[in-house]
Amino acid sequence: MPTLDLKIERLERLVGKQLEIKELEYDLQWISLDLEDVNEEEQKIKVEYNPNRPDFSSPEGIARALKGYYDLELGLPQYEITQGSMTMTSEPSVKKVRPYIVCGVIRDIDLDEDEVGTLMNIQEHLHWAVGRDRKKVAIGVHDLDKITPPFRYKAIKPEEISFVPLHGDGDPMNLAEILQYHEKGIEYAWILEGKDVYPVLLDKNDEVISFPPIINGILTTVTDDTKNLFLDLTGTDFKAVNLAINILSTMLADTGAKIESVKMIADDGKETFTPNLDPVKWEVDMDYVNDYVGLNLNANEMIKCFQKVRFDAKKSTKKADYLDVWVPAFRGDIIHPVDFTEECAIGYGYFNLPLTIREGCIGEYHPIQSFSNKIRTIMIGAGYLEVLNFILTNSERQYSYMNKQYREKSNVQIANPVSKEYDTVRTTILPKLMETILFNRSEEKPIRIFEVGDVILLNSKAETGADREVHLAAASYHENADFTEIRSALDFIMTALGCYDDMELNPDKNPTYIKGRYADIYVNGNKIGEIGEIHPEVLLNFKLEFPVAALELDLQNLFREK
Amino acid sequence: MPIKLKKQVTDILKIMQEEKSEIIASKLAKELKIDYIVLMSAVNDLKDNKLADFEEEEIFQISLNEEGRYYKVNGLPERILLDILRNKKIKEITVEELLEESKLDKKIFFIGLSNMKKNRWIAQSKATGEDKIFLIAEDYPKTKLEEFMDNIMQNKNNLDFSTLSKDDKVQYDLLNKRKLIDKRRKTKRVIFLTDKGKKIDLSKIEILKQVSRITSEMLSSGTWKDYHIKPFDVTKPGPLLKAGKIHPMINLINQIREIFISLGFTEIRGPIIESAFFNFDALFQPQDHPARELHDTFYLNNPKVSKLPEKDRVLAVKKTHENGGDSGSLGWGYKWDEDIAKKTLLRTHTTATTIRRLADYYRNNEIPPIKVFSIDRVFRNEKVDKTHLAEFMQIEGIVIGERVTLCDLIGNLKEFYRKMGFEKIVTRPGFFPYTEPSMEIAVFYDKLNEWIEMGGSGIFRPEVTYPWGIKNPVRVLAWGMGLERLAMLKFGRKDIRDLYINPIKWLRQESY
Repeated sequence: MPTLDLKIERLERLVGKQLEIKELEYDLQWISLDLEDVNEEEQKIKVEYNPNRPDFSSPEGIARALKGYYDLELGLPQYEITQGSMTMTSEPSVKKVRPYIVCGVIRDIDLDEDEVGTLMNIQEHLHWAVGRDRKKVAIGVHDLDKITPPFRYKAIKPEEISFVPLHGDGDPMNLAEILQYHEKGIEYAWILEGKDVYPVLLDKNDEVISFPPIINGILTTVTDDTKNLFLDLTGTDFKAVNLAINILSTMLADTGAKIESVKMIADDGKETFTPNLDPVKWEVDMDYVNDYVGLNLNANEMIKCFQKVRFDAKKSTKKADYLDVWVPAFRGDIIHPVDFTEECAIGYGYFNLPLTIREGCIGEYHPIQSFSNKIRTIMIGAGYLEVLNFILTNSERQYSYMNKQYREKSNVQIANPVSKEYDTVRTTILPKLMETILFNRSEEKPIRIFEVGDVILLNSKAETGADREVHLAAASYHENADFTEIRSALDFIMTALGCYDDMELNPDKNPTYIKGRYADIYVNGNKIGEIGEIHPEVLLNFKLEFPVAALELDLQNLFREK
Repeated sequence: MPIKLKKQVTDILKIMQEEKSEIIASKLAKELKIDYIVLMSAVNDLKDNKLADFEEEEIFQISLNEEGRYYKVNGLPERILLDILRNKKIKEITVEELLEESKLDKKIFFIGLSNMKKNRWIAQSKATGEDKIFLIAEDYPKTKLEEFMDNIMQNKNNLDFSTLSKDDKVQYDLLNKRKLIDKRRKTKRVIFLTDKGKKIDLSKIEILKQVSRITSEMLSSGTWKDYHIKPFDVTKPGPLLKAGKIHPMINLINQIREIFISLGFTEIRGPIIESAFFNFDALFQPQDHPARELHDTFYLNNPKVSKLPEKDRVLAVKKTHENGGDSGSLGWGYKWDEDIAKKTLLRTHTTATTIRRLADYYRNNEIPPIKVFSIDRVFRNEKVDKTHLAEFMQIEGIVIGERVTLCDLIGNLKEFYRKMGFEKIVTRPGFFPYTEPSMEIAVFYDKLNEWIEMGGSGIFRPEVTYPWGIKNPVRVLAWGMGLERLAMLKFGRKDIRDLYINPIKWLRQESY
């Protein structure tokens, strides 16, 4: 989750109210912010916001919501935009590489050190939260007075133009060279991979303003003396570039600067002005909202709730029991009528919501879980201690340690394990019990353990290609552990389940076990498990000093046979 | 009442009467060739009859350790070095040469060298530019330390520290500083007879027949009456019982299962190997969402592709992503790719199984309300350490109901957490991609006296439920939490891996 450092003093200035950290700690949670950290000494706090609220990526954005929460300012935040005369023309060549651009001008900026920090920070946050690491949206901030309108946005061949990029070594580079050698070029080259032309922003004199989404030209570097900003936001998603410029320009306007729009001329000649901060109008069904949240608010009460979250709302003149609601242009997370239910609840205050329970149902156990618990009770009675292991496992320990052949095709294979330790999932539980004994081999003996749990078996007929089954495995480890002991346990289990008379043991060969001390277990002619004394080679693989006698039963099958 | 004693105890009393003074218990046991514990048990019997008593004294025993014993035989390092010089008639030599010559370990060599200086056997000088030593003494008699080792520290046997003379103690300190000593503290018991014990006429003592266990023969013959059954120290703990026990996690899971069932919820279970369709797409998770990326999810090479459910439902999900479908949403506005949805993976949340339950609801034309839950395994492609697992348990509760509200969800949560033992809970606005409204849940944990994040909740977005025919005013309330956080608090464990690696000592000790 993204986090933001806030100075209390700056927040007080923006909200227009004296704030105590203690109070904020309580209040912030109700506008969906989490207080991560408090620095009493420096009067600073760190808050965490949810990724659906990129408008919370600046103190200005948080202050807007707090003003509503404290009833200091209700309804839509107001912003004035001067219509500008500068133009930006998109050429058709950008369509295939990076089709969307919006621009804006911010005049008369007067940022203190803290606000400059916010301007840097908000770009990083927007690149992350809205821009998908610059792929969807990339932001450029420039010194307006270094460039001359009109501006053009076009795509060119990688070697066609050279310019001096920001953070380079001062020499002109062409676009291909930037991707190959420039630090930012290397970092973001993946976004332009496979394209044969790259986008650039040019001014009237063909000076390169920017090579989005990679790097700005050195020409427009913002300094302490910069008075007016030029913003360019390019990307692959029309909604996202607009949302980002709206968040960025309203944040700057909240510091006291003035927004001036830029005339965007699309390749088909269509003209629009950006940023466009017109609120989006929705018709909201009051019954729907009340019914969803569990409230019974009248129109005025609900209007107040929306105003508190900084929307505007009025009774609809067309439909009874509807509100017309205007959502500010910096909110990108309102995409469905259901989103108004949460906004209403936040405006009302989650802490004010009454609690109810209404649905009557009869609860039931899952049959295989009930059966598993029955098996557990029997095993406890037999004196075995329950253990619990991961289903994730390692193919070497699952197979070669157990004297078994590993066959890639008959096993689940994880494509991208973070560690070699887990490259598959278990098909039997016994190897995990062997590991458990190894881990505990210095504990007081006898060690008698069991596990009831899932194994995963490939099945090409199954919907997702594999079945999940429940197994029981048990093992006894001590000086005198032998087949007789584990056979007694098996008899005890099968008697308790009422299956003893249907059980048959067939001697067989199994490389995990000692020859002549192993049998397949059948119930009604179906194989349901195996039992035996573990082979000395396997004992040594697990570095054990005493014999192990063990059994493993397929509970799913046993459950079916019962 | 006549005094009754076991024959062996009477024998010991007799010997003690013959000896006049007090006796050291361990010595007596050795003389009588009986076990020390048997002797002390007899003495205790005598003490119970006020015939004898004993005093305890802490003694401090010392002996040479392995290295010390080696030096006792072969000489201390300083003596070894000296002998080399004298045997070869060397008067001066560089430090380096002597080190080479001696073949001693470097550390031991320098200990020897420094002690040679302390003994004033040699002088060391760098005047010539080389680091040299010179023999300076006329003769080299045994040092006090060597004499102490030869004469006092006779052999392997332990020596009572209190018997050492003042001078010897100085030498002992030297050995101790050189880490050549093993030390042990022991209790010495001195036994003696009371006046009553000294005077008592042995012939007047009746022989007591004592047993420590009753035999079946004693019961059937009635002879048990003739025996005294030896009393035990009933305050002592018994030996460790290596018995069976339910794993603490399973016990906790069963408790939570009971809570759900008592609230009318039915348990559901679904595949662990899941399709991206049910794990992500059906939750309205856009196909380019970062949470779907490799570093969060275990994708599989085998099995590589999953089947998808019925065509019209797949189409419904596809449309929801592309333009919102019939859900009233705008959708994500991109082209949905069926192949991405067919990828197989280890499910990252049990919500995948919840969606399968919604699919069944659609197929069977079910009527709400329906309440289901699961407590089951999920997987995240994370490096395992003290605070992270790649596999863990998720708890999830679901209510499908007509006109169910956010307030109903809070009501359910309050009741659920109350049954879990948390009286105070707070639900505040949160964000989860597939619920709206969303709430975070925190509970007040008395033991730590603090609020703890305990899960998330919300009402499933229409984009999630509409493809399965669950349409307003029917809605789905959902909440979920991880089990391990709670388990760590309850069991007081610091390392989250302990929950799945089975330290048997912990399993045997943990209380439910």
